[in-house]
Amino acid sequence: MALVLILLPIAAGCALFLLPRGERTISRLAGSAVAALTFVLPLVAQNGGEFSVRWLSRPFTAALHFAWTGPSLWLVLLLALCTYCAIVATNTAQNRSMIALLLMLEGCMMGLFTARDILAFALFWDLMLIPPFFALIEWGTHRDTAWRFLIYNFSGGLTLLLATAAFGVLSGSTDVIGSTHQFAGSWAPWIFAGFAFAFAVKTPLWPLHTWMPNTYAELPPPFVAVVSAVQSKAGLYGFIVIALPFLRTSMAEWRWLIVALALVSLLYGAFVALTQTDMKRIVAYSSLSHLGLIVLAIVSANPIAIKGALVYIVAHGLFSAALFLILGYYEEREETRSVLKLGGLGAVNPKLAGAFTIAALAALGLPGLAGFAGELVILTGVFRAGYFWPALIALIPIVIASAYMLRLLQDTINGPQLADIPQRRDLTFAEALAVAPLLAALLYVGIYPHALLAAVMH
Amino acid sequence: MGVAGSYPLLFAIWLVPLAGAIVNWAFGPQLKRAAGIVGCVAIGLPFVATLAAWGIATQSSGAAVGANQHLLSWMPGFDFGLLLDPLSLIWALIITGVGFLIHVYSVGYMWPDTAIARFFAYMNFFVFAMLTLVLSDNFVGLLVGWGLVGLASYFLIGFWFFKPTAVAAARKAFVINVVGDVAIMFAIFMIFAKVGSTSFVTVFAHVPALGNWLFLVCLFLFIGAAAKSAQIPLHTWLPDAMEGPTPVSALIHAATMVTAGVYLVARCWPLWNASHDAQVLVGTIGGLTALGGALLGVAQWDIKRILAYSTMSQIGYMIMGVGVTAYQAGVAHFFTHAFFKACLFLGAGIVIHELADEQDIRRMGGMRLRAPVAFFAMFAAVLAISGFPGFAGFFSKDAVVFGALEHGFPWLYVLGIVTAGITAYYMFRLFFVTFFGTYRGDLDPAQVGVTNPVEPAAHEPAHGEAHAPAWLMAAPVAILGVFSVIAGYVMIGSNSPWNRLFTQTFPSQNLAVPALSEGWTTAILFIVMAAGIAIAYVRYATPAALADAPARLRAESQRMPAVLVRLFYFDDVIDWLFVRPSQALGRFFGSIFDPDVIDGAVRGVVRVNTELGEVVRGMQTGLLRSYALVIVFGAALFAVYYALQGVAH
Repeated sequence: MALVLILLPIAAGCALFLLPRGERTISRLAGSAVAALTFVLPLVAQNGGEFSVRWLSRPFTAALHFAWTGPSLWLVLLLALCTYCAIVATNTAQNRSMIALLLMLEGCMMGLFTARDILAFALFWDLMLIPPFFALIEWGTHRDTAWRFLIYNFSGGLTLLLATAAFGVLSGSTDVIGSTHQFAGSWAPWIFAGFAFAFAVKTPLWPLHTWMPNTYAELPPPFVAVVSAVQSKAGLYGFIVIALPFLRTSMAEWRWLIVALALVSLLYGAFVALTQTDMKRIVAYSSLSHLGLIVLAIVSANPIAIKGALVYIVAHGLFSAALFLILGYYEEREETRSVLKLGGLGAVNPKLAGAFTIAALAALGLPGLAGFAGELVILTGVFRAGYFWPALIALIPIVIASAYMLRLLQDTINGPQLADIPQRRDLTFAEALAVAPLLAALLYVGIYPHALLAAVMH
Repeated sequence: MGVAGSYPLLFAIWLVPLAGAIVNWAFGPQLKRAAGIVGCVAIGLPFVATLAAWGIATQSSGAAVGANQHLLSWMPGFDFGLLLDPLSLIWALIITGVGFLIHVYSVGYMWPDTAIARFFAYMNFFVFAMLTLVLSDNFVGLLVGWGLVGLASYFLIGFWFFKPTAVAAARKAFVINVVGDVAIMFAIFMIFAKVGSTSFVTVFAHVPALGNWLFLVCLFLFIGAAAKSAQIPLHTWLPDAMEGPTPVSALIHAATMVTAGVYLVARCWPLWNASHDAQVLVGTIGGLTALGGALLGVAQWDIKRILAYSTMSQIGYMIMGVGVTAYQAGVAHFFTHAFFKACLFLGAGIVIHELADEQDIRRMGGMRLRAPVAFFAMFAAVLAISGFPGFAGFFSKDAVVFGALEHGFPWLYVLGIVTAGITAYYMFRLFFVTFFGTYRGDLDPAQVGVTNPVEPAAHEPAHGEAHAPAWLMAAPVAILGVFSVIAGYVMIGSNSPWNRLFTQTFPSQNLAVPALSEGWTTAILFIVMAAGIAIAYVRYATPAALADAPARLRAESQRMPAVLVRLFYFDDVIDWLFVRPSQALGRFFGSIFDPDVIDGAVRGVVRVNTELGEVVRGMQTGLLRSYALVIVFGAALFAVYYALQGVAH
């Protein structure tokens, strides 16, 4: 059954290209139906659907092995939900191509998140970079943004592949995700470094982040919603299912470097977000800041922090998808992304402003919404693991987050109305349909993250 | 101190305001002014339920009174439940009781505003959040309420969201309050690491387990309390918060939310009892805030800002009380303050309404004739806040000041007494300048010393019939005026309802006999207060002063010391220490470090590689198609190889 999650979206994506070029409605309906199916399937069959065939036997054993147990389930659900919302929100003349690429992206990432074999993981790692690359080429404003995205992430893919190969050769098998035997030996720190580099580029972690702001700013909103919400979690997921169970001792050796980079990311992203004027770049830099927190949780290796990391992975996915979709709505209406040129829109389209407010509040960690639950549980665990100062320093970006998120929110919806803003329509039904599930999930996870906290991590 | 038992209406007390908020939010456009009725009912019902609980509780005696009901659990140590004990009961009573009166008043006050449903949605949501704060039986639930009241406050300060000043004030209040939120989070980390639980009962039963972190826990809890309760140096958001509608100032920024810090310290009394350093810290900050707020109140002309600084000052008293472990006194001052301060704000609101949103007292005068209800009610409230014997504030302020001496903090005792004198002076200054003499609003603003008159444009323009029945605003003010007189009487005598409720809530302590008796304290307080009133009378209310009012006010405006006008430079210092460096850092990272340093280094690496790569240049055709071809070809080779291998096996 796990194969369905991977192949169905990819096949559907290919099939959409059979439709005429300017087609809008059928591709949207079909695409959202496929995405909805990939959401419902793992939900109704939570332990079903393991798939495995032998792939390699020399020089090490590898299998095309897929399943969705443990943390995979939550990432699969997050991915399916975000893809569904992104497809519903897609509404341009290029609907057909955009939705086709979104579905292919979903299929590739489904492969990544359900892989039980590190080699398969690495394969889908590279594959998932291709749809956003084409989206950047097609709809971005600068071609070098696309190349920078690809080169940065492919170099991560390269170290990932090398590390995987070395891991396979030395331990005999890469079909290991889900088990927990420690990998030792003199090569271990370098294998960890290979994995960690790939994961750090993708997350991203300072100073490997400079591909990200432009990529996020130039991708069309549905794409950036999925890429920032889910693809950025590929590295964190890799840390949790590969680095933690197999290379924990090596990670402990690199611990202080990673803690330092995570804290720098947290602070650096927050400070930069404070002064950006492009709405999407503000959220992009906030992402750098927020995801540093999850890296901190993982490196602390504390069970509570890891549980919190899963909550925050889901929370960040939900609110960053919602934020980027909503920013897309504003950009479509106002034809600008500069907060300096906006203002007073709350009176023009109050429902849109309401949705924006909820998403922004989730992002700044308002209690009762999912972000808060993640932050609180993560830092409780990090502190308990003995990281007194890192836990204290990690609170500073939360304060700054409230400043830059409110700046983004208020500069858009509050203040005096700008002159000659034409009456723009409020949130349409389809637009509401795209963000409502994300906002509802934020509230649910914020109040009752119990299911996520109870997930078996290895 | 554990409370078992249940109270069937507890969930109603907690959730009915939320239901009101949701109804008003979802059906606002349809409800129009009926939103006010929904809003009032949603607070009135919980008030009745709370009052019933108070009735039951004051019949019996001791801390076993109440209910504790489990809600849900996140993971071990993170359990959520509701707790109704004497301490949360007294807060819930004020939140719903005074809250109900303010809601009724708001129907009249917000009558001309087209966004009245949004207003009541926020107000009801605030009450829900505040009840979450005080009814939680654990630190995390308290923190959730703590954050949500901050959000409600943000929404209501920025209610008139087209005013740039209101928008800025809302953001400032929120951000400073987040400083407090994360401080409480850090305290929770420490508590959880040492005790393994966040529930009050468990934590307070294991205070010694906190070891040498006890003071740190208290410190970080208090940073949270200081941010919410506008204690120095985290107070600067409160005066700006007066940008919100006046009922908001009364409910959130006077009677309830800003006292959350007092609640927190009182709730955590086992921690404060165990840490003398924490007592010194909190008592001192409270005392300094009481004095600082009073001094700043002297220099203000905006009627709401005077009241804001007086709030800050009075909360300083409460914090001082609970800080020095005179918990009952601190809580008592919260109780009486809620009535007289709400009365003052709502009375001020009537005056502001009467004068079409004028807030500068220099442009008022003679208001006793135009707003008689406000005049009489505020007179009672001004006497109460000054601590005039027999009025509500007298009992509680007396108790706080004497408590400082009793618990061994003589310097705080002195601060408390000095502040009482200043309080009497600036409150009567407000009272005389506003209500006595003749109306000065039709004079040239410069003639009374107003250099930058504000054009008030808060409400949507009123159309013809847009006038609420006058009693909607007058009745709550009158009722609060009455309570400003009588609220203190529940505390008289050892068998009073108040004492029955609280005797076993807070532990009785063995105290040394203080140098001065309580009778002497009362006498000293009275003399100092009378002196304050006398000075205010001489400066503002003698026949000569009234006749010469414009010139005197102009002269006072011009002579006001800069240090008071600039509010002790707190805003400037915060700006220079935190705001500007953050922005400079952000600009440096974003426009110099990212593009030039990091990318510059990457470009350097790339350049070296490009030169090495001249050799393979022929392969780099730059055509996407040929790259794709190579990728596909490579993949095909790979597949063929492994297919053959599979056959070979």
